[in-house]
Amino acid sequence: MLNGTKTIQNNPLVKQLPSATVFTNKKFEVVYASDKFVRDFGFDSTHVFGKPINELFTTLSDNWENTLYNCLSNSSESLNVNYSLKSEADAKWYKWSCTAWLNDANETVGLIIHFNDITEEKLKGEKVAKLQSLLDATCEISKIGVWEYDFISDTLIGCDVIREIYEVSKDYKFSFDSAISQYKDGHSRNTIAMHLHDTLTNGKTWNEKLQFKTIKGKEIWVQVAGMPTYIDGKIVGIKGTLQNIEEQIRREAKTKENELLMRTLIDNLPLNVFIKDTESRKILVNKSECEYMGVENADQLLGKNDFDLFDKDIAQISRAEDLHVMETLIPMLGRETTSRTKDGKMVTFLTSKIPLKSNNGKAQGLVGISMDITDLKQKEQELRDLINVTSQQNKKLVNFAHIVSHNLRSHTANFSMLLDFLAHEKNENEKIKITEMLTQASDNLLETLENLNEVVAINTNINLKKKPVRLNQRIASVKHNLKPFFASNEARIINTISDDVKINVIPSYIDSILMNFFTNAIKYKHPDRSPIIRLETKNEEGYTILSISDNGLGIDLNKYGEKLFGMYKTFHDHSDSRGIGLYITKNQIEAMNGKVTVASEVGVGTTFKIYFNEQN
Amino acid sequence: MNKIESICIIDDDPITVFGIQKMLSLVVQCDDITVYRNGKLAIDGIKQRIEENKQAPQVIFLDINMPIMDGWQFLDEFITLPTSEKVRVNIITSSIDKIDLQKWECFKQKTDHTITFNNKPIRKEHVAEITKVA
Repeated sequence: MLNGTKTIQNNPLVKQLPSATVFTNKKFEVVYASDKFVRDFGFDSTHVFGKPINELFTTLSDNWENTLYNCLSNSSESLNVNYSLKSEADAKWYKWSCTAWLNDANETVGLIIHFNDITEEKLKGEKVAKLQSLLDATCEISKIGVWEYDFISDTLIGCDVIREIYEVSKDYKFSFDSAISQYKDGHSRNTIAMHLHDTLTNGKTWNEKLQFKTIKGKEIWVQVAGMPTYIDGKIVGIKGTLQNIEEQIRREAKTKENELLMRTLIDNLPLNVFIKDTESRKILVNKSECEYMGVENADQLLGKNDFDLFDKDIAQISRAEDLHVMETLIPMLGRETTSRTKDGKMVTFLTSKIPLKSNNGKAQGLVGISMDITDLKQKEQELRDLINVTSQQNKKLVNFAHIVSHNLRSHTANFSMLLDFLAHEKNENEKIKITEMLTQASDNLLETLENLNEVVAINTNINLKKKPVRLNQRIASVKHNLKPFFASNEARIINTISDDVKINVIPSYIDSILMNFFTNAIKYKHPDRSPIIRLETKNEEGYTILSISDNGLGIDLNKYGEKLFGMYKTFHDHSDSRGIGLYITKNQIEAMNGKVTVASEVGVGTTFKIYFNEQN
Repeated sequence: MNKIESICIIDDDPITVFGIQKMLSLVVQCDDITVYRNGKLAIDGIKQRIEENKQAPQVIFLDINMPIMDGWQFLDEFITLPTSEKVRVNIITSSIDKIDLQKWECFKQKTDHTITFNNKPIRKEHVAEITKVA
């Protein structure tokens, strides 16, 4: 059997070799082959022997022949590596080891080739490479460096990102000690050293923000973490990450700084600042707002709306303003608003409300700024009052100057005229008449001066203190003094004023005022009826109003209204009308910060209303 | 001596009235001098004269500050009266108030009557000058 002879040709020693081995002649034709070789590559044993290698392996790379020839010519042992690919799907990788086959005479007769299956090894290598590149990419993208320290061999390795952080080149060799010394002296270095020690001894895992100095001397903040590496349950090293967080820290610091600046600013503004959400709940308040609301802590206001903090009427106005600002997105600027806290404090504010827009362009709340202008308003009012008083006094003064000038002038004119007559008069009887007139003129002048004095006294004697008096008591007293006058005129008073009514007045003035109105009412009585004086009071806006009504002649106010309280204005042809009474009365009332009004109908009667100021 | 048909003095001050009367007696000849103590009495009196078909006074001496109806209120009514002749109204006052001067200017524009403004004290010579037919 041809097969049989061939089989016999195979060396029994080679046949039984445990590895896949072939012996070839110089033409690379198979001479001997181990059974494992035939089996591993799935060859038919009858076709293997005598065939050249390249016919058996159809997928050899091109340079196999050169490699094998090199082995032949080189007597010394050499190792060449080749790979074989069986199929696309199920690739197997082999490592070829070639040795020259020498005979007894030490001549090369062929080649001995060992095939080692390295497929598994190769696949593992690929996987590792793949993982490595994934890790590299992760590091590169996240800028998180990874490092590993082998305790046994005292070697420290770091990825490219670590090198970037350390600012060292690719060929820099890391060492455990120098790596630690890059951490800032003090807290940072102590912390890292302690953690590393803890990991090596206790297997601790840690994560810290520390200060670090690069090889080039740049100080940065890093986030460094570490965990132990185990082999067979024993700690053999530490692996970890390192990240440059300088920018993040700086940003955080900047943000904190800005926040602090903002907070300091709004807390120290002499303005009430608040931020409200769409439900008008306060989500930020400054110190001034807290002080105004009378709370120690902002937390007592946060989350509360105006209805929680103010009375309903005030809250409704404020909520309406908020809604308007948030709906229209038009800021409300510098509006004067009045607010009342629940404890009743009234404050006038100059308020602005500015909508806070969110990304979708709608309002997500508003910023409110209020300036307390209560003092300013009060000052303004005081100033206005003062201007009123001043202008009124000025008017009075001008008026008074005219009165003085007119009255004095008319008397002096009379003197001048009469004296001129006297100088030229021959007739003794006429001289006597002129002298009598001079005396009359002198008396008139004295009386005028007395009247003017009285008016001046009222207007300059501002130090007279007002005090509360029982009105009915004063009425009774004046009535008593006028008793004969009342009796002779059959006059009476109908008084509906309650006995407990008190008014705040200068006592001597009230007597004079009452006296004047009573005598006027009787003096200007209607010829057809007995005088009746009706008295009543009511209170109105800080005034006690006394009304004195008579049933006398009445007066045409269209004709005489503006002159009624003027000096030396008389309106009735009475010989005892001096035209001074109402003028003085009005001055006395005004000196007590009151006022007087009049209503009258001719033939029916007159009503005077005297407003007594109860405040000042 | 100048002769005037009728003169009217309107003033509530007896001394002024006495003075005007005395001066008039020295400078003009007039048998009809009437005195009124205020504007109201004067306007009533003059109206009555006109009703009785008597001539209005040729010269009027008028005070401004008077009770019941003052000089200006008198003038208001007087210039509406149906007078056939022009009347000379001499305002005699101690007022140096600008407002009174303005009112005087105003009345001069409103009427054909002659209106003069004279400050007290007045002298005989001045009375002679202003006591004539308008």
